[in-house]
Amino acid sequence: MEPPKIWRERREKYLALGILCQECKKKSFPITQYCPHCSSKNITELKLAQTGKILHFTRVSQTAEELMFYAPYIISLVELDDGIKVTGQITDIKLEELSEGTKVRMVFRVLSKNGEEGLIGYGFKFVPI
Amino acid sequence: MSKREVYVIGYGITKFGEHYELNPSFSASQALSKAIQDAKISKDLIQSLYFGSLVSNRNGQSYIGGEASRECNLNIPITKIDVGNASGAGAFHQAFLAIKSGLDCIAVLGTEKLSDFVNSSTLEKILGGTIDYQWEFEQGATLTSLYAWMTQAHMKEFNTTMEQLASVPVKNHKNGVNNPIAQFRREISLKRFLDAKRISDPIGRFDPATHCDGSAAVVIASKEFVESHTEIERKVKVVGSAQSSDKIALHHRENLSSLLATQIASKKAYEMAQISSKDISIAEVHDSYPIGEILAIEDLGFFQKGDGGGATIDGKTQLNSDISVNTSGGLKARGDPFGATGIAQIIEIVQQMRKEADERQVDDIKYGLTQNVMGTGASVLVNILSNMEDDK
Repeated sequence: MEPPKIWRERREKYLALGILCQECKKKSFPITQYCPHCSSKNITELKLAQTGKILHFTRVSQTAEELMFYAPYIISLVELDDGIKVTGQITDIKLEELSEGTKVRMVFRVLSKNGEEGLIGYGFKFVPI
Repeated sequence: MSKREVYVIGYGITKFGEHYELNPSFSASQALSKAIQDAKISKDLIQSLYFGSLVSNRNGQSYIGGEASRECNLNIPITKIDVGNASGAGAFHQAFLAIKSGLDCIAVLGTEKLSDFVNSSTLEKILGGTIDYQWEFEQGATLTSLYAWMTQAHMKEFNTTMEQLASVPVKNHKNGVNNPIAQFRREISLKRFLDAKRISDPIGRFDPATHCDGSAAVVIASKEFVESHTEIERKVKVVGSAQSSDKIALHHRENLSSLLATQIASKKAYEMAQISSKDISIAEVHDSYPIGEILAIEDLGFFQKGDGGGATIDGKTQLNSDISVNTSGGLKARGDPFGATGIAQIIEIVQQMRKEADERQVDDIKYGLTQNVMGTGASVLVNILSNMEDDK
């Protein structure tokens, strides 16, 4: 990942932010300039719910070089308690121990490493509660 | 939409597979020149070239269409169309619209050179661009893992079984045996698919279509052009061509057990052709993973939602059954050189309609359909070709 991109995305990735539309009152993720539901520009930032449950999960063993550091890992579709769905890794647990509906909590972790000298990409993953 | 009628008047295709010895532009110009020869027209009559490719800019030359046209000695407009891994069908759709808009004769080329990517991580990253790159791929998801969720969703909602899923590639490999350009011309048993290691459960090692090299080209023309050029011997009419899109990320979709873009695009294409799904005799659908074909045959209206798995295992989609699906072997047996795939699907329908499909020939074809999918369904293209002498 390129430094300008990491810098630009630091808040939404590190803080896990979405938006709340002040017109239609709907929440959405990620941050956009316009509400994807009603196209209003009258939006405010929203901190995503920190807990949720697993809807789908599976193993990833082959991906881009910078993401291979933790492979094989578990990737999951998580429905947060505020109703927003996000894609994220499940960590600190074995695949065999997981099941659909498992409650999880958001954690701040390393997502990617660009070799020995490149920048480290951080973001959120999930751990079972 | 204008009433101008569009015909496929020639095709050319290369053998799909790993061709380490071939320069990317070699196979592209091979397919292009074959298509022009097959159309029996002078190449100077071609007014424009549209080409589709997902990765042609990643192995150096971004303008493979340009190299191919130099080799064919053409000085015509060349435009690359990007609809991710559905760029072939995307280029065909744009060429169809251009004929509708007034042009008379266009060449469409789909090409890909994937065997140069010996490190599969590079290709995974490129495919990451066909899903939500920032919020799916960089979070750790891959195309395969997202298809795994879609498979899980279908299994849960409709009790689709692993045997039903595996019956998709079993059938397609059986069809592929008789396709001379297919990468894999051998059958694989149901047991082999079921016993294979799971790479992204429930997706097994042998389930995904392979990423390979290949090029495919067609020449399309208006009715006026065909009528004024008596040297054209064979023509197949394009009666419907449509594209639709959906939210790129699965986490933004309402459900994962159908592709909304397939449903919308096919509805538009059926309306344009003034037919229904019942009129289709053969279909080439995007079986890049087994669930892809099951979703397709349901969302295109061939079977009720949820019945796709059962229909496949019961043989209702095999050669010369209710509807013959992926007579070419599909992406699975033919191989998937992304940009070439959408054109190869159209060529299979044309070959079937011209009765050139030999052992895999389907009898009494009225209408044939192709469905090409970008990523996990963020964009879908549907084309309908007709064998009817006198169309509505």
